[in-house]
Amino acid sequence: MFDNRDDYIIALRYALLKRGAKQKFSLFFLILLSIAIIFLDKSSISVMTPVRSVLNDLVYQVVIVSSAPGKSVKHLGNLTKQHFITYDKNKLLQEEVIKLKNKQFNDIFLKTENKNLKNTLNLTNNRSLKSDISIPAKVILDNQSPYLKSLLINKGRKDRIMKGMSVFSKNYLIGTIVESNFLSSRVLLLTDLNSRIPVIIENSDINAILSGNGSKSDLVLEYLPDQFELEPDQIIFTSGKDGYLAAGIPVAQSYLNKKNEVFVKVLADPDQASIIYITNGQINK
Amino acid sequence: MFFYKFKEILLRFFPLILLYFLSFNSFEILKNHPNLIIFSFNLPVIIIYFYVLKLPHALGHGHIFTAGIINDIVVGIPLGISSLSYLILALVTSYIRNVTIREKMSAEWFTFVPALFFSNFISYIIINNFSNLSIYYIELLQNSFFTFLFFPIFYYFFNILSKLTPKD
Repeated sequence: MFDNRDDYIIALRYALLKRGAKQKFSLFFLILLSIAIIFLDKSSISVMTPVRSVLNDLVYQVVIVSSAPGKSVKHLGNLTKQHFITYDKNKLLQEEVIKLKNKQFNDIFLKTENKNLKNTLNLTNNRSLKSDISIPAKVILDNQSPYLKSLLINKGRKDRIMKGMSVFSKNYLIGTIVESNFLSSRVLLLTDLNSRIPVIIENSDINAILSGNGSKSDLVLEYLPDQFELEPDQIIFTSGKDGYLAAGIPVAQSYLNKKNEVFVKVLADPDQASIIYITNGQINK
Repeated sequence: MFFYKFKEILLRFFPLILLYFLSFNSFEILKNHPNLIIFSFNLPVIIIYFYVLKLPHALGHGHIFTAGIINDIVVGIPLGISSLSYLILALVTSYIRNVTIREKMSAEWFTFVPALFFSNFISYIIINNFSNLSIYYIELLQNSFFTFLFFPIFYYFFNILSKLTPKD
């Protein structure tokens, strides 16, 4: 019995400390080093921020090169697929253009009416359009790990990208900047579990918090009133109550799934985002 | 002559090249197919387990540590978590190697379960206590399950490769 236990302890000690002929470091030393790095990263020592920033930039530059072949294959596949669907889409778009042209006149009228009503009520627009910026950036890597749904982009502090800025793809909000390095940044997608934005629901005065759930077709509306029932095909806009995002940016839409349940999906498709625009909160013009 | 030399180097450093490549690109092959994403699995974990178990000289501990650090940066989680998780996996695997008398694929497949369990357990504990990240538990569970399930396929593939690799 005791001999047996001794054998196990010897095997464990051997695994921890023995380096072997080709090993430069023992597992024990590297495990301690990893624990030390975790503590250093967790403790907000001022030295760690630039170290992490430099490490991030270095790794992201290698990622650009190493992910290039995979991206080229994906791009080629998408290009072929696009070629086949363009013709059908063109027909539909032509019909849609005619409809939209008619709708535009209605919008102009509503805008004028809104402006006149605001003037009558002495309401001013808080939006400071002078501070608007829109920085285009390229997606280096779209990372969909079980830990974080995020994008890596090729612009950083060098290009005035700051933590908290809003990111748009094809005029739809897709997320916010959560990490800004010198040459690169990380975008936390709306679909991530950690993402939360204040929203308002179309044709109502209901405010809620839109949070991610890991999937682009299953977002969650939190803090809705008890009796409120969401209807399908309702657009969800930013409410601007966080004081950062401008109000009225369309972010999501409710829809009926195959089981006739109402779900919420994002309007933008983060998987298709290749060129994105970073702004200081206002909708990308 | 050059071709044989190149082939020899490629085969010798294959696990290292693959491990670093996957760390930089976080194995995105299945991600492009939404219907197959459920089958996503953790190939670096299989590589570390196989090579530490069968050919420990082919994969240095330092490389495992560095690959983990790179993975942390790419995935965007606090530094050191993946390295610790990979090293714990290597530790459990080394222990399994030391107490194993007869090498058998089925036995090695089932001892992969505790190795995977300890490795994931450590990373979940650290993420829960040292960061504010929320984890997709179902996704992680699926990932771990398919990592276990696909192990034999890669076991045979890596075994064939190791037989082709020239001995020192």
